[in-house]
Amino acid sequence: MIAAALSLSVQVAIVATILVTIAGTLTGRALARRAFRGREVVDTLLTLPLVLPPTVTGYALLVLLGRSGLGLPIPFTWVACVVAAAVMSFPLMHRAARVAFEELDPRHTLTAASLGATRLRSFFAVELPLARRGLAAGIALSFARGLGEFGATLLLAGNIPGRTQTLPLAVYEASLTGDDRAALLLCLLLTGVSIAVLLLVARIGRSR
Amino acid sequence: MSVLSAAIHGTAAFPLDVSLRAEPGITVVFGPSGSGKSTLMRAILGAIRPSAGRIALGERVLFDSERGIDVPLRHRRVGIVFQDAEPFPHMDARRNVAFGVRSGDRARRADSWLARVGASALAARRGAVLSGGERQRIALARALAAEPEALLLDEPLSGLELASREQVGALLRTLRREARIPFVLVTHDPREALRLGDRLVYLERGRVVAEGTPAELLAPGGAAAHAAGSTNWLRATVIEIRSDEARVDLGGTVVVTGPLPAPPGTIVDLALPAEEPILARGEVAGVSARNSLPGIVSSLTEREGVVSVIVATPVPLRIHVTPESARELGLAPGVKVIVLVKATAFRP
Repeated sequence: MIAAALSLSVQVAIVATILVTIAGTLTGRALARRAFRGREVVDTLLTLPLVLPPTVTGYALLVLLGRSGLGLPIPFTWVACVVAAAVMSFPLMHRAARVAFEELDPRHTLTAASLGATRLRSFFAVELPLARRGLAAGIALSFARGLGEFGATLLLAGNIPGRTQTLPLAVYEASLTGDDRAALLLCLLLTGVSIAVLLLVARIGRSR
Repeated sequence: MSVLSAAIHGTAAFPLDVSLRAEPGITVVFGPSGSGKSTLMRAILGAIRPSAGRIALGERVLFDSERGIDVPLRHRRVGIVFQDAEPFPHMDARRNVAFGVRSGDRARRADSWLARVGASALAARRGAVLSGGERQRIALARALAAEPEALLLDEPLSGLELASREQVGALLRTLRREARIPFVLVTHDPREALRLGDRLVYLERGRVVAEGTPAELLAPGGAAAHAAGSTNWLRATVIEIRSDEARVDLGGTVVVTGPLPAPPGTIVDLALPAEEPILARGEVAGVSARNSLPGIVSSLTEREGVVSVIVATPVPLRIHVTPESARELGLAPGVKVIVLVKATAFRP
């Protein structure tokens, strides 16, 4: 049970982090670079999963993606775990990216353009490398958040051992069934990973 | 030979109403902060769009509100060196300079530009670990390596220490001669304007108030003089360097100054606070002042208990005296005086 849950959790967290990294970097940059009417409203909506109870987000996703909504064959599958983890960790990446791009000296991008760089080249050769620390911290936090996702996953993906049972769900089940040894082991495992991620984030922040 | 011309009438950020023409050489856009210098620079660069106007570089029209032309920044071929010019901090100097090279062996072109700005030794150094003067050199090389047809400079010397200021100033004069494109230098620092400018455009509240040579506009009594404050900003050519003194020519008036970090023949800028010189009605014997300059009072103005006297030596110098001194000496336009100045009063 533990091995299957661990393997699933890591895979889900990795895929979710990749999706969130791309999406959060783009939304964070868009909001950092462009002032438009309703910017803070958009920002609030994008950040909402951070403050909503995860079960609310999970239920909303279930309704949206399931039979009563888009009718996609996603709920209670591996993909559902990824969707739940991605939606829940997205605000962390978005916020980290927005701050990272806001702190970027706009003169660097003006200079790059004056040297003939296209927007794409300026983004990849100048903006991304300069924002890399903030982005890396966002990625690490998103990964940890995805790995620990529980509430939204339970509602959208269920708790099917071997298929959608991630580490936090396995902890839940172990504690319900009185399997204290397994529960404790899983808790230690998750705590260890979380500490490692936080230390990594702190290190990224310090290395200037 | 490309000429930059810009007529800009209003921007979203600032009510600019300016017409500017910059030929190859250094045109200084001078004015106090808030006069619209940065807005003008950004409009030429293409970072902001004027409400109305026309910007052209040689034959190419970069912006024309009537014809709906607005060439994007990256196609304008207008280089920029911002204040505290930051090279891209994540790249070494060579990659910084190579960034804008348009064709050929980019690394080799970058190296040859690094050599031209005297920064070959820095090729492998990261942008983040360079000193102010080094950054300025790299930023200049980076901008010029992209073969711009005009170069904008934002207070290029303001953040630098004395020694780097001399070196980067000399480098800019050399590059200006070789590049044969208009350099537009934006500054509120009269010293920078005087040292580097071939022409000066004086901006106040978004309008051009005066145009001319920096020396004539910044001289006491000149159109831009009040922006320079009560200090005499003097452009001088070094004539002779001795161990503890130097002789310089202010442009018709030769004076003795303290030691200068520049060889004979070079141009230096000196600041002489208006409070420093002493006025006398005749020759005075036995004083420590090394300069005793005969001159004629050309004007007097009294403001807030201070009389500002301008004396043609023939180079005009502004000298502050109290109303009592002015009365006792009988100062009036046309009166002959002697200006006594200590060598150390001229500050490099």
